[in-house]
Amino acid sequence: MTGQFLYNNLYIYLFISVFLLCAGILGIAFRRTLIGMLISVELILNGAGLNFVALNRFLDPDNAYGVVFTLFIMGIAAAEAAIALGVILLIFRRFRHIEGEKLKEMKD
Amino acid sequence: MNFADLISLATAVSTRIGAYTPDSIFLAIAAATIIGALVTVLSRSLIYALMGLVFTMFGIAGLYIYLNSPFLAMMQILIYVGAITILIAFAIMLAGPMYKHPGEWSGIIKFAASLIVSSLSFIFLYKVLMRTDWIQAGVKDFGLTTKEIGRVLFDKLTLPFELISLLIVVAIIGAIMLALLSKGEK
Repeated sequence: MTGQFLYNNLYIYLFISVFLLCAGILGIAFRRTLIGMLISVELILNGAGLNFVALNRFLDPDNAYGVVFTLFIMGIAAAEAAIALGVILLIFRRFRHIEGEKLKEMKD
Repeated sequence: MNFADLISLATAVSTRIGAYTPDSIFLAIAAATIIGALVTVLSRSLIYALMGLVFTMFGIAGLYIYLNSPFLAMMQILIYVGAITILIAFAIMLAGPMYKHPGEWSGIIKFAASLIVSSLSFIFLYKVLMRTDWIQAGVKDFGLTTKEIGRVLFDKLTLPFELISLLIVVAIIGAIMLALLSKGEK
């Protein structure tokens, strides 16, 4: 606890980011459609960004590396979403569904 | 009750609330983030999941404001709420999972297994994070201006910045090629 207010507490931000990470893992594991998995990946990336900014603010307030890396994460998330949606549209045009469990043509 | 009484009552209530306002607003934002994440993961419909994602993004932008980084909060709202969510909404409409109604819940056993995996990882990471003795620098003024962010971005981290721009160009061209190549099939 570094301050009298609750929002000056590092551990709350760490708790929220760990919660976002584990919610994303849960979503990736049990969602059926590929778009649901993509939304869960966005949750994980947001948890990582929140972690970066919180540690930057409380551990090293003089530099801005964490903030800049969160900007990088946003760029990577945008690129990843574009590519993943292109692949999902391709899968839908070919197989007429986007369910992850049924995509086992290469396994059979 | 006349008008002056009303004014004095409003002032009293607002000062009483004002003593707790920073923490209560912060707790409301954190709760909105967590509830939004739960809605995102657990809802049956993809559109509801998308709305939960928007809710979570707004909550995280609020947390960034509490972390004294308003520039990042604006970027969060612009990029995630403005761009990525619209992209996913277009994908939901184009890939049309609605007309088949696949149902996102694929069975209680799979859900239990994923819940066990995610809760075990949550407990493990939570204990690691809470037991680590973070060397905190104290609460200083952390008013990062865009000037400092730009200095770090263009002086010290120039190579990652250029690589990110290259990555985004490659991603755009790749997405266009994927969309074009599948035109002739079936």
